[in-house]
Amino acid sequence: MTATPFGVDNVARALLPVLLCVPATAQNFSQRGFLETDLSLYPETVRNDSSHAVDGSLFRYEASYRVLPWLRLAGSFDARFDTHEQVDRTARLDWQDRSLLRPALSARQFNATITKDKLTAQFGKQFIRWGKADILNPTDRFAPKDFLTVTDPDFLAVLAARVTYDAGADSFDFVWQPRFTPSRTPLINERWTVLSQAVAGVALLDLGSRFPGRSAFGARWNHMGSGYELSASFYDGLNYLPVFQAALNPLGNAIDYVRTYPALRLYGADAAVPLRWFTVKTEAAYYTSPDRRQDEYVIYVLQFERQIKELSIVAGYAGDVIIARTPLLQFSGELGFARAALAAARYTIDSNRSLALDTAVRQNGHGSWLRVEYLQAFGQHWRATAGYSWIRGDNRDFLGQYHRNSFALLALRWSF
Amino acid sequence: MNKAVGFCLLIAAVASARLVLAEDARQIIAESENRSRSKSQQYEGTLEVIGASNKVSVKRWEYRRIGSYGASKAILRFTAPAEVKGVALLIVNHTNRASDQWMWTPAIERDRRIATQDRSTRFFGTDFSFEDLEERDVDQFDYKSLGDDTIDGAACWKVQSKPKESKSSQYSSSLVWVRKDNYVVAQIESYSKDKLVRRIHYGEVQNVSGIWTPRTVEVFDANRKSRTVLKLEKLEYNTPMKDEDFTLEALRRG
Repeated sequence: MTATPFGVDNVARALLPVLLCVPATAQNFSQRGFLETDLSLYPETVRNDSSHAVDGSLFRYEASYRVLPWLRLAGSFDARFDTHEQVDRTARLDWQDRSLLRPALSARQFNATITKDKLTAQFGKQFIRWGKADILNPTDRFAPKDFLTVTDPDFLAVLAARVTYDAGADSFDFVWQPRFTPSRTPLINERWTVLSQAVAGVALLDLGSRFPGRSAFGARWNHMGSGYELSASFYDGLNYLPVFQAALNPLGNAIDYVRTYPALRLYGADAAVPLRWFTVKTEAAYYTSPDRRQDEYVIYVLQFERQIKELSIVAGYAGDVIIARTPLLQFSGELGFARAALAAARYTIDSNRSLALDTAVRQNGHGSWLRVEYLQAFGQHWRATAGYSWIRGDNRDFLGQYHRNSFALLALRWSF
Repeated sequence: MNKAVGFCLLIAAVASARLVLAEDARQIIAESENRSRSKSQQYEGTLEVIGASNKVSVKRWEYRRIGSYGASKAILRFTAPAEVKGVALLIVNHTNRASDQWMWTPAIERDRRIATQDRSTRFFGTDFSFEDLEERDVDQFDYKSLGDDTIDGAACWKVQSKPKESKSSQYSSSLVWVRKDNYVVAQIESYSKDKLVRRIHYGEVQNVSGIWTPRTVEVFDANRKSRTVLKLEKLEYNTPMKDEDFTLEALRRG
């Protein structure tokens, strides 16, 4: 796994003439960002991680500039630091999001959007979100995640070309992703990787990741009817969650492992129907693959949503139907939240304070997760968050295996 | 026989008088709508949300609308505070039913349809509900004239409006005060089962590009005892806008 140097200077030089020929006005230029520091406190230690406190800081800057009425450039930059070496210590500007560690300096997204009548084309590193469900999105295939903290994932942008044709009630979305972006999975030497007793005392040798060279393609049709919305989607590409292929090394004193990303094809559909008392949202995807390393399954979500004054409630069930399972070890960032009752609630106390609750309870009772967060804004720029994530269960379950990872979170954010 | 005819005539006279009054009330509202009709509107809004304990928080949004009443579309995008910058709402109004609304949250890169039953919710900590942000089309209500009244020293017609069955609303009725001098709506009180829910007061009426427009809108939430004052700045009418800038895709791209 090697990083290709990003020609920042070259891109800047190429864009400069375009930027200079149009005077920047406040209306054409917008920017925002924040500086946030958060402290996670873990009451318990685990075998591969003795830390009780992890502090991280993130500076994010996002800017958008409408160069011409039909052309908009957007970019976002992240600078990070942490105390737990989840963030790379080298001061290199990363744009690929392929590293195991979070980059210290990162071009989070950079893209150009061209609009012409009903057509919108977006090129570059961008966020693409599909699906309608809120808690788990099986059809959201262009949205790899940073799972370094499994219960609090963050989305990663992908390098892609996206063309959307919006014909009023119907819209068509075509995406071509020439370069693969994997999800960032938990680090082997930290608490969000739970190692089996069978490998206790055995050296594990990370041989890196094998990134496939192929591109991915996706298409989505969305229809907005009177009182309902529905979509159908298709994806042909790669699974952004790795399969770990491990073998005893030739010397017999360690296990070598490598991350591989099998091909994946998906047929999906989602719908939202607002009814008199609540809104029903459903989303389902059938995952198949010609690659025998990839499991074949269906994930579906059915959720009900209701807003009662200042209280917003989402509750539902995520299920799966396994059609074919491979014996290989795969990080279960999605299937791990299936076969579970899921719920989220938000209560807006006033314009500055809110309370949030998220929970997942596996139907077998072997794993559950509950997060409670209180947010308080101070004036125009400051926001404080205090929360607790409570995880219970046992090692047989994806969620339950993290039962020693319950943690308290304190965060302070200054936005501009 | 004569008595019966007389009674019938009396009933007919009362009924027709009621019809005329209802028609007058409808015509007042229709005229008010006609006079504020424009091809487009845009402004920068500053909102002061004043809680029951007089604690003030300030928000700002940019508002753009294409079309007028019934068939209009609008996008409202927060510019401050920094925490909610970029959050946007697309409103697609219809002549025969409640509007469609979608909210865009840039932090999660997702849009969410606001279901009709959720429209009574306060919009992002202000005292406006989602329903208050949609345009009231004259044909979606039944009207009744309640005579004359005065608001801020200006003579007004007082009209009661009730949503028709096709119009789903959190309010069972509203009282609308329309100024006689310029047909500008001076105040709306909205009720749920005879209980006051919200009072919207329109002030600082100015002529902008030939349209009499209130430059301040004050919303009072009777349950929470809080109020929001919206000031319209950089207000313009009939600036060129494109229909394509009022779609879900446009909401997402900002």
